[in-house]
Amino acid sequence: MVYETVYKFNRLHTGLTRGAIPFMLSRMTRARNLPFASAVLLLAAGASASAHHSFGAEYDANKPIILTGTVTKVEWTNPHSFFYLDVKDAAGKIVNWKLEGFPPNVLYRTGWKKDVTIRQGDEVTVTGWHARDGGDWGHSREVTFKDGKKLFFGPPAGTGDGGAAPSVAVPSK
Amino acid sequence: MAALPLIVAGQSSGAARVPRAADGKPDLTGVWQGGSNRIGTWEEANAGGGTNATTGQVTPFAVRGAQEKAPYQPWAAQKVLESFNRRGIDDPMARCLSPGVPRTTTMGLFPMQILQTPKTIVMLFEVFHVFRVIQIDAKHPDDLEASFMGDSVGHWEGDTLVVDAIGFNDKTWLAGTGTFHSEKLHVIEKFTRMDENTIAYEVTMEDPEVLTKPWVQRSTIMLRPGTRLREYECVENNTDLDRYEKLLKDEKVFRRN
Repeated sequence: MVYETVYKFNRLHTGLTRGAIPFMLSRMTRARNLPFASAVLLLAAGASASAHHSFGAEYDANKPIILTGTVTKVEWTNPHSFFYLDVKDAAGKIVNWKLEGFPPNVLYRTGWKKDVTIRQGDEVTVTGWHARDGGDWGHSREVTFKDGKKLFFGPPAGTGDGGAAPSVAVPSK
Repeated sequence: MAALPLIVAGQSSGAARVPRAADGKPDLTGVWQGGSNRIGTWEEANAGGGTNATTGQVTPFAVRGAQEKAPYQPWAAQKVLESFNRRGIDDPMARCLSPGVPRTTTMGLFPMQILQTPKTIVMLFEVFHVFRVIQIDAKHPDDLEASFMGDSVGHWEGDTLVVDAIGFNDKTWLAGTGTFHSEKLHVIEKFTRMDENTIAYEVTMEDPEVLTKPWVQRSTIMLRPGTRLREYECVENNTDLDRYEKLLKDEKVFRRN
């Protein structure tokens, strides 16, 4: 069977200083534009708990992604887990996305079970943030399963990013 | 700034709600989450953050009050700022190194467990399996070698556990991206159990090599009923370092400015 694949990629590509303008890269079955306010809230999230690895160096909190596709592989590993998702792009081509997330200890604690909760062949939708290099990988946040169940596979944007402001006052130049 | 309860050593108000050990001291035993002020189980306290898939709205994972800016000497502040601009790509934790003090306690993503006896308080941290053994009314050893987690001794001031830690290397961050320190770091922490759910946590960091004055941070550590420590073995599949290596070839891709 051919899955109806929704590929949504909301790119706030202009940078926050000039104002964030969402635009849609690809075809969608249900347009859900990210409101302008979300960019501001993403910044606020940057002040949250510091994490193991730098989110900010690898992922762009101003480039949220929402992907729907079919799970092809799950890596239940430390220090971070990954799952891979076949997603149909704008041209109808299948692209295999790599999504990073929590280590197993956190996944267990937040309601996941290895080899049970998410498996190859599952159809899921995941929210997250795109890699800075623009490749087919991102940082995951919330996974929605076909039955409507939602679980967090990764931490919020900005985790380990250094926060919205440095720990020291910025000296005037 | 988040309102924190006024901490008075030995205060008696609300004492009935503070669990006590056999020796009458407040009992800190339990599984806790630092860097949070939300009451509840781990699941309850950490839900609600993140992206709403419908609206795209993002709410923070943990609620924290504003903190005093770190009082670094100008040259050192530049170094901290550089780490911030590099978005934490130099984080020692990305190399799976022990997070140090107080970062291990305040980071909040992983639980910690406190075990208390009259002479020893043990803190176990899920993150990288780090531990602290705090001898009560003891002196620091004379033969300390610089280490990631340092050496901790404690004493009670009324109902407040005061922990004094020295003997650190200079390879950890204190609290926030790039907040480096020297081997002269001296950390004084105050743990005051305010009620069933809450430890008020005040940490003073002294380091004459890099700071201009003691740096004080306050936060709360929250009880997480039903949570148990699990395994977190960092080096199993740490692919981030390879990716960092690629990123570092062109810093423009990730630098703030």
